[in-house]
Amino acid sequence: MSVETFKYDNRIVRAFSIATIIWGLVGMSAGLLAAVQLFWPEANLKLQFTTFGRLRPLHTNAVIFAFVGNGMFMGIYYSLQRLCKARMFSDRLSWINFWGWNAIIVAAAITLPLGLTTSKEYAELEWPIDIAIALVWVAFTVNLLGTIVRRREKHIYVAIWFYIATAVTVAILHIVNSLAVPVSAFKSYPIYAGVQDALVQWWYGHNAVAFFLTTPYLGLMYYFLPKAAERPVFSYRLSIIHFWALIFIYIWAGPHHLLYTALPDWAQSLGMVFSVMLVAPSWGGMLNGLLTLRGAWDKVRQDPMLKFMVVALTAYGMATLEGPTLAIKSVNSLSHYTDWTIAHVHTGALGWNGFLTFSVLYWLFPRLYNTKLYSIKLANWHFWIALLGMMFYVVPMYWSGVTQGLMWKQFTPEGFMQYPNFLETVLQLIPMYRLRAIGGTLYLVGAFIMAFNLWKTARSGQFVPEVEVQAAPLSPHHHLTGENDPWKHRWLESRPILLTIFATVAVLIGGLVEIIPMYLIRSNVPTITSVKPYTSLELLGRDLYIREGCVGCHSQMVRPFRSETERYGEYSKSGEYIYDHPFLWGSKRTGPDLHRIGGKYPDAWHFNHMEDPQATSPGSIMPPYPWLLTQKLETNSLPSRIAALRKVGVPYPQGYEEVALGELNRQAASIVSNLQSGSISAKADREIIAMIAYLQRLGVDIKARPPEPATRMAGGTMEGKFASQEVSHD
Amino acid sequence: MSIILLLIPLSVAIAAAFLGAFIWAVRSGQFNDTCTPSMRMIIEEESANKPRPLAKETHER
Amino acid sequence: MLRSSRRLSSIVTVIEKVIQQPTGKAGREHRLACFHCGADCRQSALSREEKQFCCQGCLTVFELLQENGLEAFYKLDQHAGVRVTRAASPERFAYLDAPSVFPNLVDFSNEKITRVTFRLPTIHCIACVWLLENLFRLQPGVGRSEVDFLRREASIVFETGKVRLSEIVTLLATLGYEPDLTFADCAPEQRDRSPRVPRKLWMQLGVAGFAFGNSMLFSIAVYLGLDAFDGPAVRKLVGYISLLLALPVLLYSAQDYFKMALQGLRHRVLSIEVPIVAGIIVIFAQSAYEVISGSGEGYFDSFSGLLFFLLCGRLFQQKSYERLLFDRDFKAFFPLAVTRKAHGVEASIPLSELAVGDLLLIRNGELVPADSVLVSGDGLLDYSFVTGEATPVQKRTGDLIYAGGRQMGGAIELQTRKPVSQSYLTSLWNQAAFHKGMEESLDTLINRYSQRFTIIIIAIALAAAAYWTVFNPALAVKSLASVLIVACPCALALAVPFTMGNALRLLGRKNVYVKNAQAIESLAKTSSIVFDKTGTLTIPQSTLADFEGEPLSDSERQLVRAMAEHSTHPLAVQLTRTLSRDRAGLPVRAFLELPGWGMEGVVSRREVCIGSWEWLMRHGIAVPDEQRLGNSKVHLGIEGSYRGAFLFTNALRAGIAELFPQLAQYKLSLLSGDNDSSRQLFRKLFGSEGKLEFNQRPATKLESVQSLQRSGEKVLMIGDGLNDAGALKQSDVGIALVEKIGSFSPASDIIMDASMLPRLGAILRFSRGTITIVRLSFFISTIYNIVGITIAARGELSPIVCAVLMPVSSISVVLFASLATRWWGDRAGLEPGRENL
Repeated sequence: MSVETFKYDNRIVRAFSIATIIWGLVGMSAGLLAAVQLFWPEANLKLQFTTFGRLRPLHTNAVIFAFVGNGMFMGIYYSLQRLCKARMFSDRLSWINFWGWNAIIVAAAITLPLGLTTSKEYAELEWPIDIAIALVWVAFTVNLLGTIVRRREKHIYVAIWFYIATAVTVAILHIVNSLAVPVSAFKSYPIYAGVQDALVQWWYGHNAVAFFLTTPYLGLMYYFLPKAAERPVFSYRLSIIHFWALIFIYIWAGPHHLLYTALPDWAQSLGMVFSVMLVAPSWGGMLNGLLTLRGAWDKVRQDPMLKFMVVALTAYGMATLEGPTLAIKSVNSLSHYTDWTIAHVHTGALGWNGFLTFSVLYWLFPRLYNTKLYSIKLANWHFWIALLGMMFYVVPMYWSGVTQGLMWKQFTPEGFMQYPNFLETVLQLIPMYRLRAIGGTLYLVGAFIMAFNLWKTARSGQFVPEVEVQAAPLSPHHHLTGENDPWKHRWLESRPILLTIFATVAVLIGGLVEIIPMYLIRSNVPTITSVKPYTSLELLGRDLYIREGCVGCHSQMVRPFRSETERYGEYSKSGEYIYDHPFLWGSKRTGPDLHRIGGKYPDAWHFNHMEDPQATSPGSIMPPYPWLLTQKLETNSLPSRIAALRKVGVPYPQGYEEVALGELNRQAASIVSNLQSGSISAKADREIIAMIAYLQRLGVDIKARPPEPATRMAGGTMEGKFASQEVSHD
Repeated sequence: MSIILLLIPLSVAIAAAFLGAFIWAVRSGQFNDTCTPSMRMIIEEESANKPRPLAKETHER
Repeated sequence: MLRSSRRLSSIVTVIEKVIQQPTGKAGREHRLACFHCGADCRQSALSREEKQFCCQGCLTVFELLQENGLEAFYKLDQHAGVRVTRAASPERFAYLDAPSVFPNLVDFSNEKITRVTFRLPTIHCIACVWLLENLFRLQPGVGRSEVDFLRREASIVFETGKVRLSEIVTLLATLGYEPDLTFADCAPEQRDRSPRVPRKLWMQLGVAGFAFGNSMLFSIAVYLGLDAFDGPAVRKLVGYISLLLALPVLLYSAQDYFKMALQGLRHRVLSIEVPIVAGIIVIFAQSAYEVISGSGEGYFDSFSGLLFFLLCGRLFQQKSYERLLFDRDFKAFFPLAVTRKAHGVEASIPLSELAVGDLLLIRNGELVPADSVLVSGDGLLDYSFVTGEATPVQKRTGDLIYAGGRQMGGAIELQTRKPVSQSYLTSLWNQAAFHKGMEESLDTLINRYSQRFTIIIIAIALAAAAYWTVFNPALAVKSLASVLIVACPCALALAVPFTMGNALRLLGRKNVYVKNAQAIESLAKTSSIVFDKTGTLTIPQSTLADFEGEPLSDSERQLVRAMAEHSTHPLAVQLTRTLSRDRAGLPVRAFLELPGWGMEGVVSRREVCIGSWEWLMRHGIAVPDEQRLGNSKVHLGIEGSYRGAFLFTNALRAGIAELFPQLAQYKLSLLSGDNDSSRQLFRKLFGSEGKLEFNQRPATKLESVQSLQRSGEKVLMIGDGLNDAGALKQSDVGIALVEKIGSFSPASDIIMDASMLPRLGAILRFSRGTITIVRLSFFISTIYNIVGITIAARGELSPIVCAVLMPVSSISVVLFASLATRWWGDRAGLEPGRENL
């Protein structure tokens, strides 16, 4: 029972910290480029790889999974070892985690600009990368739990509980949301459709924010803030209550991203009630952090690290109060699809995640390199510039969000739309987008200053690869520590209560397995008979829509408000989406809603508009898509796409694959003839034809008269089983 | 909306798992002392005590 | 852009300069502080590496830490060290390794490792925690050491073979953290190792909270119109999951309420738990029926919410003071070891090994462990804490000395006459009062109220059922059930715990630590107060000497002062203190002091003789007879003639005079172990009908409290010494006064800081106030019940009404109770100096 000597591993921490800085700069630059493109379309460089549609997912993935991901791992690998007084469970797993995670990021940086995306927000990566993410995440979880089991400190500090919650829950969220049937190496269709896909996506979406951006960073806060302030956390008991209250009901979030959409009313209201309930635990965490500095505020003046931490906590408090307000239906009716959501996201991202990562870096580098921070003045400069940058980002976005929301809803006294042309609202926002770009630039400049400062710190110091420490092992004899061994089986049987809990969990999972096949495939979402699956040409057009990332700016969900039914047409019903794998409701209307675009403009208009948006709508900030006119439509993957869709429940009749190509050519020919009448000569095999076919089909089915046979389906074999289900929907 | 049939049980399962973790924590005495851990984690070990060889068997005073 | 940010940062620095003004003058003149413990060390010149140290103890600790690479100790906290007063040598703790002591002291021991837990009262900061958790660096063989800061305890695991327990204790003592070892530590059953708040309660609360949180979300979904869109599948799933969530709450979280209800019924008392259990069972049954039959969605959220709030109430009420022990007996007062002189060799042995006839060496400030006879040295024993005698008692060789006295002055040798446990003092503990178990008394306020409440509820329920069987039989069962559901006294059951919980915390902040909520209730019912004199109404060791006989002239007082300054005898020291205003420093010639008798000398050519009356008689000074009785007098003779005698009385505590008028409504009595020399002083205080009894032995104090209780009085006893332990135990509520929180106090319900005694009137008024607050919250919860029952009786109680009514009623009662207690705390004048009532 002698004292053990062991070493903390700093190499992995340094590796993750360098990755954090690099990916931070890359992600923020991508964000800045995207921001510039929003008021200066030429910045899209007319290249298909740098248009806004493909750049936005690159920015979100880079900033969330690369910058915050690596930052989280850096903080966890540093603090976990010290809190457990043990080296990481296995160095190999640590490096698998590092190289695996960063390989995934590189893969994302390649596939997303190529347009290989699932279009599901924050889960855009295609199925092979999804599998890789799952494997690397399991490696991280095993490493985390292994270290905890081999700890030399009996008490599990609250930060470690947050890390455990993150590891366990993100794994489940990611797996459930990535369930998809692969079509080819880089194409797959999710097994859920329409409304169901929306709910699962946003169940994942919110909890990705919750368990990837909040809980690990709360863990980091609970470790690094007391360390820097050299004072115990304000109330350790409050942090325990804060954790358990947050965890027991946190998994319920999600529906508040779909308020006033086609989601059933009760689910929306449930999402709303839940979000408002979340303010308590979140603010518990913030107050616990800020009050820790009680009496140490002069330290905040001297130490830039604490300055960043304080602003991070305040931004966390603001964002977690603003979130529930946005989740209230009446506020949401104004804010949904507008820039207000972007402001909320960036208060949290720039403020909470960004500033906290900066503060951890400023605290960590001097220790990793056993030296002083190169320049406190530079760090203070970074702080004030970044703060200014954040203000210049967030305030214009609030301003443009509210302007956008109000202009959409504005009616003249006579009852007509004040701004019927959507473009008028877009042009109104250009100045705010410019201000936002300035904010983004400042923030990026700040990040570069930090990079320089940390680089000089590293150069001035000597890297400490490992730290040798001594600690006594946890004595194995449990009667020694007075607690019984919590995991012996005998103990389990003699505890009725715990047996019931584990039984319920087993039952639930068991029930889950046999529920899915029965209900999911025969989805009993009220089907509208006139809604039919997409034709082969429209299907390829839809996949182009996904490839170009149009969902980044256009939504396909007309909400039941007079302002939207006036502007777009009949509000969207959940029945219209039952064949949409994946759903394309979107979450931002930089451009107008497209769900009722079918038949609104002639094919020629679309042709010209896609070639050069400025031609048909002067001043538009939409990037041009000239390559759609030149690239050939790739059709040989059609049979495997149809087969995959049939597997996930779209009722394409048997043998439709053979007929599909002929039908495609016929529909393409009819579109070419329409273009001919509009004095445009175009070849039938170009991608633009498929895009036009898809756009013209959007939202049309609901208008078609249900009884007469579905003329659009050549071959008339579409009766199938669903046609007979006459279900009325209020 | 039948997806809710998947989401509700799954969410309850995750939450129940954390309840199990809570009970394990209470049983294994994690909450006996809710004040010292917050002080213990502040102490910087590595810079504090450069590990001295414990060879000094005879404990001369 | 840059200019504006520079201006911005300059503004900030200006603001910070303003905040950071150096306050107070301490900042300026430089105080020479010891680097280790911060004590002022101007006179001693010990220094190492240009750092000053106040004593050799601090210097040795500094070197020890230096050697073992533990310099960070001084980085963590400025002057974090503890001043080492008594050199720690291994022999001093050798007795710890004795087979009779070792097994009782340690928690666990086998041939390989041993685990021991010590109370280290001098732990005070992070640096201490860090140092004590790095013991393995200082002592090879030591393994894990874990500090519990709140309890000021450290548990150390070490290898049995490699290091002895005494070595560890010596190490701790040299570092300044000497363990507080008392005789009680020899009795392992006394040390309760369980955490203050039982784990079971935490788990029950966790399960109830988990179920409440999740089932509430299901119910909200149903309340918001779940089935309008999704058909039966989702509704059935939600129903069954709520049922599954509620199952553990019924089986596990509610266990205690079932037990308490059964206990109440067994004593034929309809305690508050009976209606609660009835409500719980009915809610669960009704909901389970509705879910299984598919005819409704049940009240599962209200069910788990109800239990969650109830358990929160119980948790809130169990306010635990980590560092205070409320039930210590004489064993905790006696030291663990005493030095025995066996054929010339001095060795410290554990008290348990003390045999009759052993020769003991008792040094200054040590305790006499057993009744014994003085063999050599002049005994001056302070019994104030043990028998209540105010002044130290002089003993001469051959006198019998009772256990518990603290020797003042030089070391003395004694021969024990009786074993430790049968000494005169400890015989008090085999009185009956100490053996009656503290069973949860059922006749509390809330149980009396619930008696009537339950009967009314059952009556209403039956009436409603009967009414509906006539008019609409389908509603009969539903109305019966719903009356029981809504009438479940959740708000009622929360009123007491939250009021009392807040009262406990409020008093705790004022250094009045109450053991449990029961104590406040009995405090409010007090009708007669019994005071102890020494140490309670008077300040111990603050004896004042006032002169009997015609007043002394200034010159005479200077004489006495000059003489008194030369003697270190405790009484002489107090004499110099009382004459402190007179001019000092007169030269004394031919000064002679005979310890135990007195002193004589010549000051400015006048011969002065001070001491006991026999001493004056020997100098031929006639001492009048009436002056001879009472042995706490010091007689004075100047130039052969008797001038008078100094009478030593304890000074009254400040603010006592204002306290007594406030206690007019109570029957006051004084029980003191001291002689009645200050009778007329206390007669003035207690007024005419106050009962004053002096020379009370501990047992007689207990009997007089019993007689008061037999005459129907609810007795509050206030005492500080061991002699009050019996009375404190016997009285309905006992307050133990302590000079410094954490020092020894006899077993009692309340431990109070001595400075708060003048606020006793306010504390009693505050406790009566809390009872009225509880009654008011009963009233509020009854209103909710009336509203709820009218709805339920008409059979219209829908789950959503119940889901809204139950939390609203509970939270409003909790809010009212907390705010009212806090408001009343200020109004009742607990705040010293804010005397407004």
